[in-house]
Amino acid sequence: MSRSPSAGRGTRVAGRGFRASLVFLAFALGAPLAALRAQRAEDTTAFYKALELESAGKYKEAAPLFRTALNTSSAVSALLGLERVYAEVGWSDSLLPPLDTLIRRNPHESVYRSVQLRTLQSLGREEQLRTAINHWVQDAPGDPSPYREYARLLLQRGLTASADSVIRSARQALGSTNELQLEIAQLRAAMGLWEESAQAWRLALASSPYLEQAAIYALTPTPPATRAAVRQVLLASPVDVPARRALAGLEMGWGSPADGWLALKDLPADSASAAAWTDFASRAELEERWPLARDALVAALRWRRTPEATLRAANAAVRAGDPGAALALLPVEGPGSQVTDSARAARTSVPLQARALAMVGRPAAAERLVERFDRWFTPGTRTVLTRAVALGWVRSGDMARARASLSSAGTEGDSSDAAGWLALYEGNLRTARVLLRTSTEATPELATALAIVARIHADSVPSLGRAFLMLARNDSAGAATAFVEAADRQAASDATSILLSTAAQLRAALHDDTQAIALWRRIVEQTASTPEAPSAELEWARALRRHGDAAAAVARLEHLILTYPQSALVPQARRELDLARAGIPGTT
Amino acid sequence: MSKLSSLLRVAALWLSFALTVPASAQRLLVPMDDSQEDHLKAYGVTYNALKEGLTGEWLLNYRGGAFLLPDTPEMRKRAALAGVTFDAIDDGQLGAIRAEIANSNMDAVPLEKAPRIAVYSPPEALPWDDAVTLALKYAGIDYTRIYDDEVEHGDLTKYEWLHLHHEDFTGQLNKFYLTYREAPWFIELMQQNLTAAKRLGFASVPALKKDVAEKIRQFVERGGFLFAMCGATETLELAMAGHDVDLASAYIDGTPMDDDADRKMDWKRAFAFRDAHLEHSPFVNSMSDIDGHQVNVPGRRQPLGTFTLFNFSAKFDPVPSMLVQNHRSVVNDFYGVTTSFTRTVIKPGDVILAEEPGAPWVKYIHGDYGKGTWTYYGGHDPEDPQHAIGNAPTDLSLHKNSPGYRLILNNVLFPAAKKKPLKT
Repeated sequence: MSRSPSAGRGTRVAGRGFRASLVFLAFALGAPLAALRAQRAEDTTAFYKALELESAGKYKEAAPLFRTALNTSSAVSALLGLERVYAEVGWSDSLLPPLDTLIRRNPHESVYRSVQLRTLQSLGREEQLRTAINHWVQDAPGDPSPYREYARLLLQRGLTASADSVIRSARQALGSTNELQLEIAQLRAAMGLWEESAQAWRLALASSPYLEQAAIYALTPTPPATRAAVRQVLLASPVDVPARRALAGLEMGWGSPADGWLALKDLPADSASAAAWTDFASRAELEERWPLARDALVAALRWRRTPEATLRAANAAVRAGDPGAALALLPVEGPGSQVTDSARAARTSVPLQARALAMVGRPAAAERLVERFDRWFTPGTRTVLTRAVALGWVRSGDMARARASLSSAGTEGDSSDAAGWLALYEGNLRTARVLLRTSTEATPELATALAIVARIHADSVPSLGRAFLMLARNDSAGAATAFVEAADRQAASDATSILLSTAAQLRAALHDDTQAIALWRRIVEQTASTPEAPSAELEWARALRRHGDAAAAVARLEHLILTYPQSALVPQARRELDLARAGIPGTT
Repeated sequence: MSKLSSLLRVAALWLSFALTVPASAQRLLVPMDDSQEDHLKAYGVTYNALKEGLTGEWLLNYRGGAFLLPDTPEMRKRAALAGVTFDAIDDGQLGAIRAEIANSNMDAVPLEKAPRIAVYSPPEALPWDDAVTLALKYAGIDYTRIYDDEVEHGDLTKYEWLHLHHEDFTGQLNKFYLTYREAPWFIELMQQNLTAAKRLGFASVPALKKDVAEKIRQFVERGGFLFAMCGATETLELAMAGHDVDLASAYIDGTPMDDDADRKMDWKRAFAFRDAHLEHSPFVNSMSDIDGHQVNVPGRRQPLGTFTLFNFSAKFDPVPSMLVQNHRSVVNDFYGVTTSFTRTVIKPGDVILAEEPGAPWVKYIHGDYGKGTWTYYGGHDPEDPQHAIGNAPTDLSLHKNSPGYRLILNNVLFPAAKKKPLKT
């Protein structure tokens, strides 16, 4: 096959022409694209430059650059920037003309509309505001956004009646207010319609769980009398995790964290519930509500068991005084078992296991465990565990083993605060006074012990030791009786009032107000000049008020105020007096 | 009876007298300046002293409007229990105080008899619903709650001092119908009012409330002391001036408001205002243009500022002076259904006790009517400026030095003052 040269040439020419035209086309297209890229870069530069100027507080200089960026793809961000800087320099009214242009250009962009409403409101142009709303409603029929924005603006200004009218208009226009549940919830709360607000919050949370904190914030002021209704709404079937989470948060804020846990404990075990349990536990840990933290963490373990979560749960159990649960979570393996990472175990699980064993009445097992991992302990951990084991022996009634346990830690153990506690349990106040002062652990028990031993001049009071020993063995009732017995002994006569006061506190903690009142009465009547007398009288009055005997409470409080006018407790007594006389609203 | 026994009786009487009269004839000075620990309870201590037959003095403009009371063990005990600061002063110190009073814009007003207090409030209302009952409860001042039945049965004659708070005397239940018509508490309130109107023989709630307003007008005319706050101020005036006009919307009495109501109002019957314009729309939560702040009307609502108490001449204007005694002269404003009173509708004879300088409204006004007096204090709760329905009640033990609440208690005590001839 031959080919005509001309034809070939023609083809070549044609080919060249095609390539040329492609090049031209590329050039033709490329030139504006390049220009566009350059322009966009310039616009972006203007926008970022404006942000920089704004950050530097140069609002007037930033404004023209934001205005330039309104015609670019960054228009929304630029508008928000312009809104900010105009507000700073008091030129908010200058925002209205560019807003009109932007809205004409893109009537469905809700940010433009929101900024317009905000601006008109801040300028106090109520008529224009209403017109803008009407235009938005006309431009976007069936869209809940205009109603939502208007209702929010009115709510921010506390105009609940007007916000309510807007919601009603929305219901008429849209046929439903499902899209406005958040605004309805806020509105009902602002109107004091707490139950209705809770219902709306529940609906809003179902679609937007991230509103949990907003719901808690809005419903927290619910008056005590209405809280039951709010609880009922949020607990109602079907079980809804976001609603339950919100209720748990509310209960924490209302000072009823145990009810908060009740809101969560029956959730089905899944990832959302586990997250709710873990979050609740974190807050409980922060507030040192260890039984609640334990329950929530144990529940979370039902969904997914991790070593970290198990340790947290065991720690909460130990701190909650539930060593059995801790040992169930972290069972102690036999001495022959292999531990893959002893150093790690000594840092994490072993201290908890040892403390739990000591608490549960198995100090020998605790001691063995401590000995087994001793070389991996830090000095601080060793001290804590030596003390825990010694107290374990105390609880099991073997003071000799307790002392031996401390001695095994060397001279440090013998001179520790734990040795001070042992001395106290034996009634050796001379040693206890010296050693307890060295304690670095500031607990209420230590404060009480120090206050008592400081008031007694005798060096040996075995009856007092017995009282503290019973307390260490968690026998509060026995300890209360023993403190009273100690108070009756001549050797402790210097501290009669504080010993009776300690006994009364124990009785009150056991909800035995009758015995507690008898002790407070004895302090007030027999040791009237002691520092414990006014506090005993205040507690006595509070107990009387709890039992509904306001008249007797008033008599006690009046006596306190008039007898101890210089006492630091007088302001508290006056407040109690107001409450007893119903002179101020009752506290929740 | 033997001579000896009568001598013994005389001796016993003398002895009891000698024991009850303090040897140094001391007085207790209750300062009301910043040294006072609990201003509000100081009023209670003073009021209760008068109630028990003791007498005292109100030292106008002296140490914030101090009280001078007899120094008795009981007085000391009460002040100590209440946490009220007092100083025992002897005759020499008292003489120095009197000299200072004589030479300054101060005066000493004798306090003689505690007024019998009635608070017009629904039987089911809690004391915490109303700033006056809150203050009375906190200060330990007893009061009697009365409502429509008691007023209609003529019980107002039993009292010298009457307080009104957020009652709507136009009978429209504060137009809460607009917002709360579905709320259980509003439904109950409406039902109670309808039942009361029927029970007392009135065709509608507005008819009943207007009659109650008329009886309150007569109470003041006869010499009663009236103190009103919040919406009661404005609506009482409208009900009195509109006695023969249909002021109420159809939702409450079945007929719309009279279109010509503005023209038909008889302002001569009102205590404080004239020529106000009524709000005709049932959908606008406002009664008239008496209130300057219009808190519940979007577009009309005005922001809160501060109000300033007027410094009167204690010797020439003792009554207004008593009403403004305070340890602060500028007080934060607070909203209410009626927050303030527009200057343009105030009658020329009204005494302006407190105003927001430069604003077109005043806060606190007073005047005479017949043989009695009226005082209006705008706003709902001086320590809850944005008060909304459902808010937690104010705990006055946290606001025991509240200057706003002091103004309320000045009103409780001023009827106890003995009228002195004016110095001319």
